[in-house]
Amino acid sequence: MSADGFFRSLHEAASTRMQELNALDAAVGDGDHGTTLVRGLTRAATAEPGRRAKAFMRASGGASGTLFGLVLHEIELHLDGGSDLAKGLERACARICDLGEVRPGDKSLVDSLAPAVGALAGGKPLAEAVSAAEAGRDATRDMHARCGRAQHVEGGGAGHLDPGAVSLVLILEALSRESDS
Amino acid sequence: MKKLFNDPATMVDDMIDGFVSAYPHVRRGSLDPRIVVRQRNRKDPDASVTLLIGNGSGHEPIAMGFVGKGVLDANVVGDVFAAPSADLILDGIREVSGAAGTILLISRHSGDVINGRAAAMLAEEEGMKVVPLLMYDDISAAPPERRADRRGAPGTMFIYKILGAAAEAGWSLERLMRLGEDVRERTVTLAAAVSPGISPLTGQPMFSLPDDEIFLGMGVHGEPGVGRVRTGPVRELVEGMIRRLLDDRPVAAGGRVAVIVNGMGGTTMMELLTVWAETVKALASRKVRAIAPMVGSFVTTQETGGFSISLLEPDDEMLEFWCAPSDTPAFPGIEATEECLA
Repeated sequence: MSADGFFRSLHEAASTRMQELNALDAAVGDGDHGTTLVRGLTRAATAEPGRRAKAFMRASGGASGTLFGLVLHEIELHLDGGSDLAKGLERACARICDLGEVRPGDKSLVDSLAPAVGALAGGKPLAEAVSAAEAGRDATRDMHARCGRAQHVEGGGAGHLDPGAVSLVLILEALSRESDS
Repeated sequence: MKKLFNDPATMVDDMIDGFVSAYPHVRRGSLDPRIVVRQRNRKDPDASVTLLIGNGSGHEPIAMGFVGKGVLDANVVGDVFAAPSADLILDGIREVSGAAGTILLISRHSGDVINGRAAAMLAEEEGMKVVPLLMYDDISAAPPERRADRRGAPGTMFIYKILGAAAEAGWSLERLMRLGEDVRERTVTLAAAVSPGISPLTGQPMFSLPDDEIFLGMGVHGEPGVGRVRTGPVRELVEGMIRRLLDDRPVAAGGRVAVIVNGMGGTTMMELLTVWAETVKALASRKVRAIAPMVGSFVTTQETGGFSISLLEPDDEMLEFWCAPSDTPAFPGIEATEECLA
């Protein structure tokens, strides 16, 4: 179980799903979410230990690079340094809500992350946290965006999954695979 | 539009190459080539508070031109018009941090706020003592009751300079933060854009404007502001801007304000000095004295035509720090001249 394995596994999964993520983003935003995610992960996969999440932030760029990078940072600390995963993801979620000025229900990555954080805080295993994140992801389909580019799309993007919520599940799935290995 | 560069992918790094070799005040940071730090007159970061800011490039000379004695300790340079990433700002903090603490100045624009605050969180987690200070002054971005929703505009230079001088004088982190917040509360800025700059990324004008119209309240990236006015004598334009600025934050008759007249990159010194002269008159007609001016093009957006007027109603201490000598590539000497009083 290592951050190295996690980042390689996530890079592979995101690369496979890149076009799908771009298409989801194109429905509500500028259509590059998959591309920027993979660009960041490509750099992270070859960065030195301890600096992978930061390499991701740099290469992915923009505010989304920072917000996803905060999640990856906590996972890296957990896998390489043995920090508490539940507390780390809770901290990442609080920071994302604070910095991005988002709340659950706003149609964002927080709608996947917050249920997972809740499950882990309740002592549930990671597999159940992933399931909770998946349910949160699916619920974004009917949500209306209150912030980000999607708010300017007709109906606030209702009818489309939020691409950030989808990729957040990919992150947790990769973590789950790595934790089982 | 013809622009002089080699390759869009290297234009920022090519510029920094030129900058650090042209000025002995600065050198590249040791952690990343996108960080500019002081070369001479470096502080002992355990004894004096250090100041830094990150910003997108394309607005030179701000902010790397203000790295040096009496102003900033470091500048983190992002891509053209893009905030630097959180990890890069974190490296910038690392370059200058010490026991006395560091203030990360953040001009309030979405990407700068998110990445800057995230960097400060990560730095604290690593045990560094760092506090972010949000800066905002553009009255066209939000009404006075929502000051904290305003954007950063050229009036933020009052904070750079005043905190820079106070930090040099040995002020503590807590005291500097209070001073910075106080300067922020006393500063207002309004801009007028005349003609668009050309984005070096796209080669295209950043906004369009009929020949006989001026945008009031334009943001530094071409964001729309208060609205449009007809062109006419600059006297009328400046009079209207001073009226709006003083309506927003009144200054009592007999009061005084320090002034920044900032050119956006494509406006001549001849024009900017005329704006300053009209500013003095418009303020004098309200019995307010204009003092300690900073006139020139410091916060630019390529060759955008236009200017902004920033007013700070300073207390004596702020005025002293505003006029204190500095030694940076681009910060001018500020004279607290009484001769400019009308």
